Amino acid sequence: MMSSAPLAFAAPILVVEDSDEDFDTLREVAAASGVTRVIYRAVSGGDCLAMLRGPADVQLPLLPVLILMDLNSHGIDGREALVAIKTDARLKAIPVVVLTTSGNPKDVAFCYQAGVNAYHVKPVRYDQYLLLLRALMHYWLDSVTLHTP
Amino acid sequence: MPENVTKNLQGLRAAQPAAAALDVASSAPWDMQPYSIKRHSASIINCDAEPVRTPGCIQAHGAMLVLRLSDLSILQVSENTQAILGHEPQVLLGQSVAAVVKKEGEIRLRSVLATEPTERNPIYVFTLLANAQMAALDVTLHTIDGAAILEFEVAAQSQPDAETGSVALRARSGPDYYSLIKKTVARLQTRETSQTLCQSLAEEVRLLSGLDRVMIYKFHADHHGEVYAESCRSDLAPWLGLHYPAADIPQQARDLLAKTWIRPVPDINGALAEMTPLVNPDSGKPVDMTFCALRGLSLMHTEYLKNMGVAAGLTMSLRRDDVLWGLIACHHYSGANYVPYELRAACEFLAQMGSLQLRAVEDRENAAYRLQLDEVNQQLVGKAAQEGGLASMTDGNPSLLGAMHAGGAALFHLDRWWRVGQTPDESQLEALNHWLISQLDVGSVAGPLYSTHALSAAYPPGAAFADVASGVLAAPLSRSGQNLMMWFRPEVEKTINWGGNPLDKPQVTGPHGPRLTPRRSFELFSESVHQQATPWLPVEIDAAARLRGLIMELVIVRAERLAGLNADLARSNDELDAFAYVASHDLKEPLRGIYKYAHQLMDVTPANDNEKRKLEGLMRLTLRMDSLLDSLLHFSRVGREELTLEKVDMNEILADAMEMVGSRTGDGCTEIVAPRLLPSIMCDRIRVREVLVNLLSNAIKYNDKLAKRVEVGYVNAQEISLRGGFPAGIDGQNVYYVRDNGIGILPRHFDQVFKMFKRLHGREDFGGGTGAGLTIVRKLVERHCGQVWLESNAGEGSTFFFTLSAADDV
Repeated sequence: MMSSAPLAFAAPILVVEDSDEDFDTLREVAAASGVTRVIYRAVSGGDCLAMLRGPADVQLPLLPVLILMDLNSHGIDGREALVAIKTDARLKAIPVVVLTTSGNPKDVAFCYQAGVNAYHVKPVRYDQYLLLLRALMHYWLDSVTLHTP
Repeated sequence: MPENVTKNLQGLRAAQPAAAALDVASSAPWDMQPYSIKRHSASIINCDAEPVRTPGCIQAHGAMLVLRLSDLSILQVSENTQAILGHEPQVLLGQSVAAVVKKEGEIRLRSVLATEPTERNPIYVFTLLANAQMAALDVTLHTIDGAAILEFEVAAQSQPDAETGSVALRARSGPDYYSLIKKTVARLQTRETSQTLCQSLAEEVRLLSGLDRVMIYKFHADHHGEVYAESCRSDLAPWLGLHYPAADIPQQARDLLAKTWIRPVPDINGALAEMTPLVNPDSGKPVDMTFCALRGLSLMHTEYLKNMGVAAGLTMSLRRDDVLWGLIACHHYSGANYVPYELRAACEFLAQMGSLQLRAVEDRENAAYRLQLDEVNQQLVGKAAQEGGLASMTDGNPSLLGAMHAGGAALFHLDRWWRVGQTPDESQLEALNHWLISQLDVGSVAGPLYSTHALSAAYPPGAAFADVASGVLAAPLSRSGQNLMMWFRPEVEKTINWGGNPLDKPQVTGPHGPRLTPRRSFELFSESVHQQATPWLPVEIDAAARLRGLIMELVIVRAERLAGLNADLARSNDELDAFAYVASHDLKEPLRGIYKYAHQLMDVTPANDNEKRKLEGLMRLTLRMDSLLDSLLHFSRVGREELTLEKVDMNEILADAMEMVGSRTGDGCTEIVAPRLLPSIMCDRIRVREVLVNLLSNAIKYNDKLAKRVEVGYVNAQEISLRGGFPAGIDGQNVYYVRDNGIGILPRHFDQVFKMFKRLHGREDFGGGTGAGLTIVRKLVERHCGQVWLESNAGEGSTFFFTLSAADDV
């Protein structure tokens, strides 16, 4: 079911993405898919952690229902942020979906061992990327029953 | 002339201790009475039996008294006292010595005995002036075995002194030996080498003594001797450089020579005077004449000298640190030659001075040799360090023979022999090396060297090359002893100047047959030096040990540097891998952005076909860039990730690989065959599968035949040697191959096909590809410690070979 009006009180989505292009694409797909939840953007793993459990002025008003995470970023990267989230009792129930350029088996193994909920490799082809994002949105926001505290 | 090879330069064949002489006496013809040359000479049958220290007789040109020390009464006299001293022996026996030397002389003797070191040390005491009954006589005194022995010899200047004629004794006058000697010593001190010093010494002694031939006879370490320097009358054939066996001057004789500085033989044919009585009545023993200038000569010695035509002789000792170094041996041929006490003293002093000087010069020479050896060692090691190998030690200048006195040298290094000079051949070296390893104490820190001057004695096969390598000095250069360096010295026999073959010379033999002849001496010497080389000097062995130390140090330094370089290389490889990985990721992100914008532009309808084509080109290039980055990423992962080695059936791997390239073989005209089952090996299953997948897909991809045929097989270690044509370093391994009937590769491209992103064909020909496949194959094979190479005929097909050497031991 897709809501037609923004739900200000609905839990947001947090996207960890350092690429403006990729974030734009994601936002466009979200809009086109009728996603009404607020999408917050963190530009690094460190930024993401601050928004989840940092000082009051940077912390999100509500915990997100889904985190889409790119692994490579400056500073504290996605891998560290993933481990921090999945070892934080308050955060670990939030589904984290990795969306990254790296298809390295080591990264894949690392993330699943850290408790990631899904791992996707970003295709270079834009059309394929769009397909992937649409499928993602549909699955995580429409098919899956999310846990909302 | 027989003197070209001499013998026993100065007597003393078989001198032996008095005690031994007495033991011998128990079974000798004179066993019931004391020995005397006069009485028993005919019964002497061998050198060992002759009691040379207690001959019972003196040379008759002088007289001798044996005195009781307590009261200086006469116990024994030589039988010729009437002729020399003017008194019959019977008159003198039991008398005080004053009967011969007057009261004045007796007082003098007592004073000398009380104040001078007379024990076994003859000291000149005074000269008895000539009178009606006798010539002027030099008197020397020494004590031995509790008796005093007085020797009387005709003085050099025997005419009575007119002014002091009434005085029985006088101080010496005559040639000023002191100033003569002083000049001589000054000259000797300017000599720089032992050779020139000895030459000068020979000349000075001859000048001083007036004898016909003066030789400096040097003992070698094995006690054989050599005429090291010589001065002789111009009409005599020189003996310089001739060698003599150790037996010529046996150990007992050398012991005696080490005790007395001088041994005169004034007249080889001189008469003998027997002692009366033959034994000391106080002790019951014969007189020990070891220190007597007048001692009756050894029969063997005089016979030998006579065989050489010698009429008179004089021998002095040269010592180094109380060890007999050599002799100053003088021969006189033109007649008897009485050397007066004072001249003897001068000669003795010269011998002592010469000994000291010799020591100084030898030390200097040793130091110089050591310096020279060290300097060459430094050069050798410096060059080795520069060139990164030891080859220059045999091929360069200087070589291992640069300073070391040796005929040849060899080095086993980098699995081969390096030789310089005269050496055994390589198969002989191989065997010798094998034997040496068992001899070398390679674990020893102090000095794991092996040296010999008679190799064949310890290593019988060495006899085959004794001519070039009787002497061996070996130093291991690795802990196993496998690598080593050796120096060789030729057999002495081959290096000696014999001055003509002595076997051709006529012989002169005395009553004792050929035993005491030059021919026998030569034979003895030949035997003694057979398959022997000049022994290695301590300074040479030290130098070899130091060179070894320097080389080992160099090896260690190089090993450390190599380890450092390896660590650096490993680090930079790691960094390169990390770089490739990160770079690929970071490059991919903008690529996706570029593609996205090109895609979006396409969506908003390009203005014309030209624009559309450009946008399509932009997207195509972006995708190509993406696949290049993927290959790079994969390649960097291949280099980085650990192998998982397990025992795997290669047939299973091949089946998997065939399945993975199956899409390409689905056309029905491609056949992949394995002529025989592949072995099971230790390898990383995934990686080897990738090797096969890459090779198989290439074999199919680069193939324009209607019926594509690919053969996968292997050649085992035994078959390799039969086949030949394979690269080095694959001995004992299986060689796997993938053979196709494809387009083939030109030989000049053989190397290029393995290069990263190197494509031989157009990008879109043969189904495209990034050109990383074979680079990754090579990396994977190398990770398995193997090699990959190819054979190909353009147009007919290619065969790619590879080994997996980590794997073949299963």
